[in-house]
Amino acid sequence: MTLKGATSQACAACKYQRRKCTPECPLAPYFPADQPKMFQNAHKLFGVCNILKILKTVDPCFKFETMKSIICQANIREKFPVYGCWEVIWQLQYQIMAAEQELQNVHKQLALYRQHHYHQQQQISAMPDYVTSQLELGMAPPNNNNTISFLNHSTPQSYDNNNNAIHHALPVTQQQQQHYSNRSDDAYTSAYDIDSKQTITTDNVLWAQNPFTNNSINENNDNAETVQSQFGVSQTLAMGSEDVQDYDELHPFFDTIDDRQSYIDSKEAYDSSSSEESLKDTTQISMDHAADDNTLKSAAACFSLTSVKLSVS
Amino acid sequence: MASSSSYSSSSCNSPCAACKFLRRKCMPDCVFAPYFPPEEPHKFANVHKIFGASNVSKLLNEVLPHQREDAVNSLAYEAEARIKDPVYGCVGAISVLQRQVLRLQKELDATNADLLRYAGASCNRGTGRGSHHVGQNPGLYSFSSPWSTTDDPYGDHRN
Repeated sequence: MTLKGATSQACAACKYQRRKCTPECPLAPYFPADQPKMFQNAHKLFGVCNILKILKTVDPCFKFETMKSIICQANIREKFPVYGCWEVIWQLQYQIMAAEQELQNVHKQLALYRQHHYHQQQQISAMPDYVTSQLELGMAPPNNNNTISFLNHSTPQSYDNNNNAIHHALPVTQQQQQHYSNRSDDAYTSAYDIDSKQTITTDNVLWAQNPFTNNSINENNDNAETVQSQFGVSQTLAMGSEDVQDYDELHPFFDTIDDRQSYIDSKEAYDSSSSEESLKDTTQISMDHAADDNTLKSAAACFSLTSVKLSVS
Repeated sequence: MASSSSYSSSSCNSPCAACKFLRRKCMPDCVFAPYFPPEEPHKFANVHKIFGASNVSKLLNEVLPHQREDAVNSLAYEAEARIKDPVYGCVGAISVLQRQVLRLQKELDATNADLLRYAGASCNRGTGRGSHHVGQNPGLYSFSSPWSTTDDPYGDHRN
């Protein structure tokens, strides 16, 4: 109801009730004339008397907050006639549950990536020593014990000796190492891609063919080390067979090793080669004895392996 | 008279809590009787104090019969919350939950940022999983309380 000469309009409450809106109207501050729906909802749920009763029970300083909550509750009830505020509470609780679950999953993923990152850092930090030791060509000629322990790849010491054995194939091994390190980044991303069921690109396919990824991505930390050790062993096994051959003749062999590492062939080829290498492992000594003398001499000349020559002969 | 007011009579049911409170005869077609049993007098007392019997009756008539029990229970909950907290009522609980959602969302965003650092730029598409704003899920009601700082298209001030 508009007062004559007055600039203020009747509040929504007085308009709805069709009565004169006095300056002392208790509901006028909370129900402006341009929002009639707000009062309708509040009136429908609480009623004017009950709203005023509630306002009387609270402190004057809290009246505005109280009215806000009443209006809010009424609007919710208008939106959800059956469940009212329950509906909103349930939805919020569901959102909280979903967010907590997602947070948990993200934390798990983060821990996994941190672990991967840590392992990668360890591998990278270990590599320089590994590479630099290969640079010292011929400085630590392998002896009988080394040869035998090299054949026995189950012990950690033999792994070190395997490193020495790989000295003979320095350039290729370096390539292999670099290739492996380059692939590790792809593996890192591709592991995530695989985990997230993304399309595996050609780069990732390489990693996918790696037995590393044949296992569960989430359990690949130990597997990575195992694969690496297996790979190193396979390399050394191959090296062992070529140890007594001419260095020039080793290039084609290591080319095949390079191809093997790149896993262009199938894993079966890898396994078959591994089995072949294991066979070579068992017959290494006999092969040494069966090696050509000329080959031995040339190999010794290349690597200054006079002790080898002596051991073989 | 005594038989009509007898509570143990098998021929007529005892008056419901609403009719007992209102001191009136509980008719067979009493709208309150199925939802306000005489064993729970405080339930109707709270509802009547906050909303009033006529408003509750109108609300019950507007919903389907199989939904009335849920409607009554939700009203009873809201009434009890308003009696316990006259200022905020059940909206206080909603505000608390909203703040929790916002806090979790912030934490999720921060953790996803950490994940991105490790996964690299190529995993940016993975952030779509975790960075969805929980409070803005289109499948859910995005409620904005009067005290919410976020703008919401489903705010309670639409008229």
